[in-house]
Amino acid sequence: MALDLNFILRVLLFPGFSFILTLTLICDWIERKIKARMQNRIGPTYTGPAGFLQPLADVIKLLAKEDIIPIGTQAFLFKFSGLFAASIFMFALLFLPVDGASGVFSWSFEGDLILVLSLITLANFFLFLSGWASNNPYSAIGAARILTQFLGYDIPLFLLALAPAFLAGSLSLSEIASSQLIPFAALAPWAFILFMITLQAELEKDPFDIPHAETEIVGGYETEYSGRRLVFLKLAKDAQIILGAALAVELFLGGPYGPVFFGSSAAWYTIWFMLKLIAVIIVTEYMACVFARFRIDQVVAGNWRILLPLSALSLAAALAIDCWFSCAVR
Amino acid sequence: MMKFPMVKAVFACLLRKPFTRRYPEVKPDLPEGFRGKQIFNINLCIGCGLCSRDCPAKAIEMVEVNGKRYPMFHLDRCIFCYQCEESCPRSAIKSSKIFELASTDKLDLVIKPIKEESVKTETRA
Amino acid sequence: MVVNKVQEILNQIHSKLADFILKVEITRYGRPIVHLKPEANREAIKCLLEAGENAGLVAITGVDAGSSISLLYHVRVSGKVITLKFNLPKETLGIKTISDFLPGADFHEREVADLLGVIFKDHPNPGRLILPDNWPEGLYPLRKEVDEDKLARILNGRENLYTEEIGSAENRMVKIIIGPQHPALIEPEKFTLEVDGEIVRRVKPHIGYVHRGIEKAAEKRTYLQNIYLLERICGICNACHAACFCQTVEELLGLRVPPRAKYLRTVILELNRIHSHMLLLGHMGLEIGFETFFHYMWRDRETVMDIVEMLTGNRVLASYVTIGGVRRDLNYEMIPKIKEGLENLRSKIPFYREVLEKDPTVKMRTRNVGVLTKENALKLCVVGPVARASGIKMDVRRDEPYAAYDEIPFNVITYDEGDTWARLMVRLEEINESINIIEYALDHLPSGPYGVRAPRVVPEGETIGRVEAPRGELFYYIKSNGTAYPERVKMRTPTFANILSFIKIAEGGGIADVPAIFASLDPCFSCMDR
Repeated sequence: MALDLNFILRVLLFPGFSFILTLTLICDWIERKIKARMQNRIGPTYTGPAGFLQPLADVIKLLAKEDIIPIGTQAFLFKFSGLFAASIFMFALLFLPVDGASGVFSWSFEGDLILVLSLITLANFFLFLSGWASNNPYSAIGAARILTQFLGYDIPLFLLALAPAFLAGSLSLSEIASSQLIPFAALAPWAFILFMITLQAELEKDPFDIPHAETEIVGGYETEYSGRRLVFLKLAKDAQIILGAALAVELFLGGPYGPVFFGSSAAWYTIWFMLKLIAVIIVTEYMACVFARFRIDQVVAGNWRILLPLSALSLAAALAIDCWFSCAVR
Repeated sequence: MMKFPMVKAVFACLLRKPFTRRYPEVKPDLPEGFRGKQIFNINLCIGCGLCSRDCPAKAIEMVEVNGKRYPMFHLDRCIFCYQCEESCPRSAIKSSKIFELASTDKLDLVIKPIKEESVKTETRA
Repeated sequence: MVVNKVQEILNQIHSKLADFILKVEITRYGRPIVHLKPEANREAIKCLLEAGENAGLVAITGVDAGSSISLLYHVRVSGKVITLKFNLPKETLGIKTISDFLPGADFHEREVADLLGVIFKDHPNPGRLILPDNWPEGLYPLRKEVDEDKLARILNGRENLYTEEIGSAENRMVKIIIGPQHPALIEPEKFTLEVDGEIVRRVKPHIGYVHRGIEKAAEKRTYLQNIYLLERICGICNACHAACFCQTVEELLGLRVPPRAKYLRTVILELNRIHSHMLLLGHMGLEIGFETFFHYMWRDRETVMDIVEMLTGNRVLASYVTIGGVRRDLNYEMIPKIKEGLENLRSKIPFYREVLEKDPTVKMRTRNVGVLTKENALKLCVVGPVARASGIKMDVRRDEPYAAYDEIPFNVITYDEGDTWARLMVRLEEINESINIIEYALDHLPSGPYGVRAPRVVPEGETIGRVEAPRGELFYYIKSNGTAYPERVKMRTPTFANILSFIKIAEGGGIADVPAIFASLDPCFSCMDR
């Protein structure tokens, strides 16, 4: 693979890192504004028009703060696990078709769905390590909780993500996205709803907010971080939200494909992608506002007793539909 | 079937105006009798010192002006309870609706018993 | 009849403890006091606890009386308070503890030991309660010979009044420290939880972080100035502190408050109650992760604060009650505006009731969490909504009516479950009751003066006063010596009585339940520490 200009531009600018970073800021603003309106208050208002530049201001403020490394932490893990988590999430985003083709043209291959899901697990593991490496009982509890939660909810996530794969007949994200004449959310709505619930748990939003439950354990795994390293943890969080929502868009909502009215199709595909992404994020934020927080034992019980059997059933149902379709076609 | 009463309420809130009062662009509408900054009418004062004696925070100091005793109010110690207004036999102390008293200069927070300044009421910008 | 019940109890004591009784009197204010020899305290308390229903210890007051220290045990039996008085000469300051059969007396005894130097023999956990850990020995702040300058001189020389906790918990238990600065607490206190996995095994409280020495400060200010000092013990129940103090002083003065003032006092006290309960319900939402509920509840709390601002001139600190009545009158134009605000609130309550009763996530976090049985509640002498949620029907407004409560009809809300959910529902229903009380009071407001002039010098005497604050029963004891300054002011706040129940409930539960349990007890540490 030659290092030509096209490759560099696509990785660094669009739909690579710059695009992802800007998207995290935009999605953060949308989340905060929607949450505020649902709670009957105004959100960010003063920085920029309607507070649009508030997330950027937060990042700049954090970068200017002192970066403290407490005594007794595991130095290498403490310093770099946030960075690893953020970069793995962003790397996984490069496999998703944003403008009709994957991040780098030659990167999509058969099976990249499995790669993306494994990268999510790996990055979550680094988030756990970032809490574990801090010498603080609150971080230790937060890290243990994040491990319990994502290890549990990863399995239903895999099973539910395989349903569109079976319906599309391929394990490649671009293939799944492009083969959706009718979005899979309409064909297999039970899988979509269960996927959204599992996504809520993966993204650690209310009601699965436990790993960084403020009122019980101060900050969870983020407690000891400040300055630059906290920016990386926040970036990892935001990138995870975008990755999760983008997965939902690609797998169930038809990806970036939609009607092209005039001009270049790549630009229209990007616009449709962003609109669908924002819609998914608004729905997750709405679910976060409506519920209280579960306890960790209730989360674990809910996963192994309810969600796992249901996701296995949904996979079976998707297989049945697929068989029926192919039989009907033949 | 489980009922989620919050679902409708949250959705309805999205369509409503936010409840936040946009201070400082919009000033609040204060009721009568609001306990703000004191207005001291030096013409009615007889120098009895009851306000200073009864002040729970020791915020009123009796000073000599032209041979007579008058109260000087230290607003940084004041708790705005207005016991002074109740104790005054001549009703020389009244409340106002001025509440924006923050300042970078401690001397701004003293109401001195001088004839010209006592009846001026200015709002801070 | 009321007087007969008290007489009956006094006869019972007389018959059981005849040798130890020095005097049985009913003071000119109508309060029964039994003077006994110090050896008989355990027998006397046991006798009182069996004499009626819902019996419990209200407070233990210590008064420095020159060459001796008087210990007064105030015990509540069937809704009335009977005081037992013991005189301990300063050379032999020992008395037997009662906290082995009455665990609720634990903190009361430790506080008297801290501040006055009385030794309680065989106390299960002796140690400093209110004062910091390395406070100099032999310096008892509430004694008369210790004045402010002496305290300032001694304290200025010491740099650090707090020792560090050295030592770890046994084997594999992790020590989680909640506080002093923690997002779950509104005010600073330290609770050390020893946790085994996710189960809490032991809770050790360290309180006294917000101790400001208000009881001592009240001895240096006149009665009129003391109203404002005591109001600022707690921000949320400020009108209750002022009302209780004024009631007690009026009893000492023999002053009768005009009926209009009584009704207006009722209005401000009930507004305080609504405010406090709404604040707590919103805070509870925050503790269980339900931010939206918190924002909605506090949005509606603004209505109450606007009403208080219209009535008194300030949103939170009312400064409305004074000795002899209230400080300003209610205009007739205010009444429709107050009623409109209350109607607005009343229309929101069915929504909140539905959320608390039907929302599955709230149910999962609060039902059967932190159960306090009725028996434990009585032994720990808890008060207020915590007691009412465990099935104990105890309310000072019903047992010993003050202000206008003997003329206004209302219900005392009790629930039997004793869990966190019951404590929240009691408070929600009490908001409803308070709205009804205020509307009744406004509809039946008598005309007349809104206050009488009170003399500044209070004749000699000692008496008590009780008020139902939002968190429970608030108790004041005032001893006057014929000057314009009080001799001793003692306040026992409801959180001081309730905090022991937190230890009992939290041990054995999960650590994720601790913030929810804590918030449901409605702790107000500035009240507790004074």
